[in-house]
Amino acid sequence: MAVSDNSKKSEQIKPKEQFDFFHDERVRSVLYQLLTAAAVALVAWFLISNTSKNLEARGMHTGFSFLNVAAGFDSYFKLIPNEAGVGTYGRIFVIGALNTLYVSLLAIVASTILGFFIGILRLSSNWLVSKVALAYVEIFRNTPLLIQIVFWYISVFSLLPRVRNSIDLSGGLELVLLNNRGLYLPWPVPGDSLWLTGIALIVAIIAVCVFRRWAKASQDKTGQIVPTIIPSCLLLIVLPGAVYLLTGMPLEWDVPKLAGLNFSGGATLPPSFVTLLVALSAYHASYTAEMVRAGILSVNSGQYDAARSLGLKQGRLMSLVIIPQAMPAIVPPLISNWMSTIKNSSLAIAIGYPDLVSLFMQTSLNQAGYAIELVSMTMAFYMFVSLIISGLLNIYNKRIQLVER
Amino acid sequence: MTIIKPVESPTVTAPLSKNSALRWVRKNLFNSVFNTVLTFVMLYFVYVAGKGMWSWGITDAVWIADTRRECFAISIDGACWAGVYAWFDNIFYGRYPREELWRINLGLVCLVIWMVPLWLPRVKAKISIGMTTVFLYPFLAGYLFSGGAKGVFMQFMVTAAIVCLLVNTLHAIVGVCSGRSLLEFIVTLFGKKNASSKRGRNILVGLFAIIFVVIYIWQMNWTVERIPWTKWGGLFLTLVISGIGIAMALPSGILLALGRRSNLTIVRVFSTTFIELFRSVPVITVLFMATTMFPLFMPQGFVLNKLVQVIIAVCMFNAAYMAETVRGGLQTIPKRQFEAAHTIGLGYWQTMGLIIMPQALKHMIPNIVGNFITLLKDTTLVSIIGLFDVLGMLRSISKDSPWLGLHKEPLVFGAFLFFVICFAMSKYSRHLEVKLSTSHKK
Repeated sequence: MAVSDNSKKSEQIKPKEQFDFFHDERVRSVLYQLLTAAAVALVAWFLISNTSKNLEARGMHTGFSFLNVAAGFDSYFKLIPNEAGVGTYGRIFVIGALNTLYVSLLAIVASTILGFFIGILRLSSNWLVSKVALAYVEIFRNTPLLIQIVFWYISVFSLLPRVRNSIDLSGGLELVLLNNRGLYLPWPVPGDSLWLTGIALIVAIIAVCVFRRWAKASQDKTGQIVPTIIPSCLLLIVLPGAVYLLTGMPLEWDVPKLAGLNFSGGATLPPSFVTLLVALSAYHASYTAEMVRAGILSVNSGQYDAARSLGLKQGRLMSLVIIPQAMPAIVPPLISNWMSTIKNSSLAIAIGYPDLVSLFMQTSLNQAGYAIELVSMTMAFYMFVSLIISGLLNIYNKRIQLVER
Repeated sequence: MTIIKPVESPTVTAPLSKNSALRWVRKNLFNSVFNTVLTFVMLYFVYVAGKGMWSWGITDAVWIADTRRECFAISIDGACWAGVYAWFDNIFYGRYPREELWRINLGLVCLVIWMVPLWLPRVKAKISIGMTTVFLYPFLAGYLFSGGAKGVFMQFMVTAAIVCLLVNTLHAIVGVCSGRSLLEFIVTLFGKKNASSKRGRNILVGLFAIIFVVIYIWQMNWTVERIPWTKWGGLFLTLVISGIGIAMALPSGILLALGRRSNLTIVRVFSTTFIELFRSVPVITVLFMATTMFPLFMPQGFVLNKLVQVIIAVCMFNAAYMAETVRGGLQTIPKRQFEAAHTIGLGYWQTMGLIIMPQALKHMIPNIVGNFITLLKDTTLVSIIGLFDVLGMLRSISKDSPWLGLHKEPLVFGAFLFFVICFAMSKYSRHLEVKLSTSHKK
């Protein structure tokens, strides 16, 4: 019989037991790893030995002691006080890092809001609206960010009027003013008892959380929907508002006033900052819009049918069924988009906004030398930020996996 | 009993046919009160924006003028395209000598001839054509663009590239006409039926050797003037940098991605470090690192020019980005594919090359093209460190004395240029994705 023949044959074949040095998997794996390590070590040794020889030949100093040396320049936009000739290079690093984080955080917030808005327009059933949103996305995604930044800077923000003819963005109230020196905003000056309002706000937020949890528990128990939106809004506004009024409105606004040739008071944002903020937000919003759209479209159309057949209205359908399922598809790319916003803020160098790269990698490097230290510190900063952001992403992914079962 | 009503039933207008424009408008623009309002608001918005752009860019624009002053004299509100037009050669070719521009054009034409067979139906051996494009074309183009005296190695490679280009083209023509490969065609031409017979192979080898020798002798006398890289610029330079970046990124990205997924700890650690290092820092810092630190890394007396520094930097960060794209593609391949490959006794490289990569690459195409688009856009950053790429050229128009202060038009033109290239690429990748998808879900 054929079957027995086959079984006999297979018995005859014996696996090779002998140890073949070059074809053994374990030997090979060790060998490959050693080879890689040796190659990398060789390259590293080559680079390091060359560098040390070059440094010696050029008489360049190394080490991080220069961070305590006073820098001969100052940044025109800074969040902490500094003075040229007094502030150290270490302080310049902090100023640059803060400037980078400041503009990119604002851009992240703005681009996320704008991106969600455009992504929803893109999904509109109105053909015209969806095509206009598509045009926005395609135009901003397919042109280099650097060209966009330079364009905003040169053809929008440097054509702004002089100080005397400032554009009033607050509609005649002269609170928010825009001119070729920058954007002027009123700035809050907290009074003595403002902390009470702050505490009231925190209490209100906690109360809202408790209230929502109770509302959900009661809905689970009885099936009755407790309205939460209006009471929580009321709670959030009334409680801090009442405390604010009772303590005698301890907050004053420092309003920009025209004094001589320039405005004084209030907060000033230089044109380069506003340009960078606008350009980054517009550019990254186009990416966010596509992510939102793809995320919402990734939800199976059966989910819509099921939710409608349960009798859910459009609003509840979105907030209870579609959005929760779309979020796992939206959030991870969204977070990496935030990371690229932070990285792209380094293009500030093209328009002279003093971010980390422009202050530390360019100006400081020209003034002090220490190329290796400056470059590696700048890179280390970005790596650190990226580490934090990928940490956030990991936390989110873990939570999603738990929910998903 | 039937009752027949003597009254005529009311006439109902026929429903609008599915293809009627009116029905479409009603369904897509005015299907609710809210949408109607939205449509009118959008129409107004589009009208205002469109009219502004139309009158600035087309109707009020000045197309022919010698200076910016003249533009203003003709029309104060419109764009001054004459300035962009006057700088056209600079925008595309940089400061390359004008009488040598044919070399750049010839190089591009060669690339097109080389690549076209990849898109033609019935042409065989497309993988080899693609490989030769990556490995041989750069030598031909490099010599065409930079010129000067050729060393023996360069002479050999240029000859090989020319022979390869000829063979490729013939192969493509034969393929389109008869659906056979060039080898089969020649062998049958000599009356030999069996392609693998020794005689046929000898004829082929002899034929190639003769062609090779003839071209080698011809190219020995063919030299072109040396043009230093400092004269390169414009869109040409942008394409050279991003072209090399793209060509290097795919193979090195695949290797890095495989390294990152490898079981060998040391390989994995190194690959991961490299990828994460270059992905987490901004491109501009890598470029700065290249220009400030590479001179320190090199042995004394060995000077890398700035272009090479930039190209190395571009290749490094792009390899890291590509590696992540490839890794994403590899993750879409289910484990059973690996197991099946192991079961039929394939080793690591065979599994990867024959089973995994062909499937993964197909999944990756949109992302790879997206990567290319990003790289092309990021190449504009080299203008910050002082190379005169297309953006550098566009920005120097405003410093040219007849066109002093002409900022907006060149930038708009540059944006338009990039838009056309990138948009075409992304549309093509969408098309490829649909064409290559073998899954049945819609």
